[in-house]
Amino acid sequence: MIDTIFIGLSLGSVLLLVALGLAITYGAMGVINMAHGEMVMIGAYTAVLTSLYLGFGLIAAMPVAFLVTALLGLAIEKLVVRRLYGRLLDTLLATWGVAILIQQAVRLSFGLAFFGITVAGLGPGLQNVSLPEWLGGTFSLAGSQISVYRSFIILVSVALAALTWGLMYRTSFGMQLRAIMRNPQMAAACGIDTARINALAFAYGSGLAGVAGVLMAGFKTVFPDMGTPMVVDGFLVVVMGGVGSLIGSILSSAILGQINGLTAAVSNDIIARAIVFAVVIAVIIWRPKGLFSYKGR
Amino acid sequence: MLTLEKVDSFYGRSHILHGLDLAVPGGEITAIVGRNGTGKTTLLKTIMGLTDRIGGRIVLDGRELSAEPTHKRARAGIAYVPQGRQIIPDFTIRENIVMGGFATTGRGRPRSGGIPPLVPKLFPYLMQNLDRPGGVLSGGQQQQLAIARALAAEPSVLLLDEPTEGIQPNIVEEIQNIVVRLNAEEGLTIVLVEQNVAFARSAGHHFAMLEKGRAVASGPIATLTDELIHRHIAV
Repeated sequence: MIDTIFIGLSLGSVLLLVALGLAITYGAMGVINMAHGEMVMIGAYTAVLTSLYLGFGLIAAMPVAFLVTALLGLAIEKLVVRRLYGRLLDTLLATWGVAILIQQAVRLSFGLAFFGITVAGLGPGLQNVSLPEWLGGTFSLAGSQISVYRSFIILVSVALAALTWGLMYRTSFGMQLRAIMRNPQMAAACGIDTARINALAFAYGSGLAGVAGVLMAGFKTVFPDMGTPMVVDGFLVVVMGGVGSLIGSILSSAILGQINGLTAAVSNDIIARAIVFAVVIAVIIWRPKGLFSYKGR
Repeated sequence: MLTLEKVDSFYGRSHILHGLDLAVPGGEITAIVGRNGTGKTTLLKTIMGLTDRIGGRIVLDGRELSAEPTHKRARAGIAYVPQGRQIIPDFTIRENIVMGGFATTGRGRPRSGGIPPLVPKLFPYLMQNLDRPGGVLSGGQQQQLAIARALAAEPSVLLLDEPTEGIQPNIVEEIQNIVVRLNAEEGLTIVLVEQNVAFARSAGHHFAMLEKGRAVASGPIATLTDELIHRHIAV
């Protein structure tokens, strides 16, 4: 039983890292970033490539993946998203296009496939990352065998969620970002450079998704389409938790991860997914603005 | 000195201000009067860069601001107290005030990042409640908070949009006194949008009368005659 709960918690943890970025960008900018799942995928490929070419372990790959995906996110914001603020449907389409572009870039080894060059670690095939020895095994807790790696995922996610909370509530950057989430016009009138803060927030959210990708690479196969379902799951978390609420995102990713893990344990993944959707639909019928919605006066 | 030359302003395709000229002398109060819907609020938003598109020139002390984004205008020394206050309800009173201080970035000295020294003097109530959320305050207290937030920007020009609108009568006079004091004691240049002609007359040094997005009369406050008011404001 405890091992099942741990599986649910680790699923929820990865989900949380993906959803935090979405919650921030959707909350502050009203942008639905369909390319967010591709940040997960790029993060996972960063783990594959750094281990293949540089001999990096999973832990060393995390900061690299954070940087790579944060810079990629920054580029997407500057080149595409920035030009489409306030046009929700257009950003949805444009970022979806960007997502397809990134997927194909990986699948075609950044175009090298056209010249008959194959790059190990890229291309349409499946990739794997091996876990270091000390993360591989299990330990026993109250009579159950718990995967060390699952606990590691939970620890990393909790640490990053705490870091994000500190960033949002204890720094000047976070205060400016929260002000933009609540009232972008007034924030600008108070001298806050909304374009700059938005770009940084976008980059930070993308970086978190990249780290989530590294974590996923440790227990799932890595392939070019792996990010697509993550965007959907991420938005389920954001919608259920309430837009712009950090606590809401944390709680709803924990709930959804747990439902997913428990149902999958007694039946299978397909049923688990159906139940997750059913729960989210029930929640937004009951509370259309999510569990923790922001109440204006 | 803040000057607007032939300023046009738009929301989407609606053309709100038409070739508006306005001179706001430094260190004095300029009252903007006119009926509802004549563009008074839009005028302030235009100065702040919050409308969709503008034409013409906006110049503050020789610096052209027309093409600058809103945050640069705030950093240039223009602070805005909007209609409806626009306090952030789930920010504490302290956070709401400190938020205004971001406008002091890039002025060649470190941001104080705290409560401006004027606030305890003018608004003792806010000081006693710094850690309560802004949303629990009454309308009048929120107005004080919005003024405190603007002061944190250490501005040279203050834009006030109907500071006494919708406020309980016993606080109206207090707010009016604060507006006058900020000008007289701190030397702030104030653009005051005001429906209350009596207060506009008593506080203002200059006035501009708007009608249908144009300035139809302006000058020293003494020239704001009953005849003008009768023609442009009284129904």
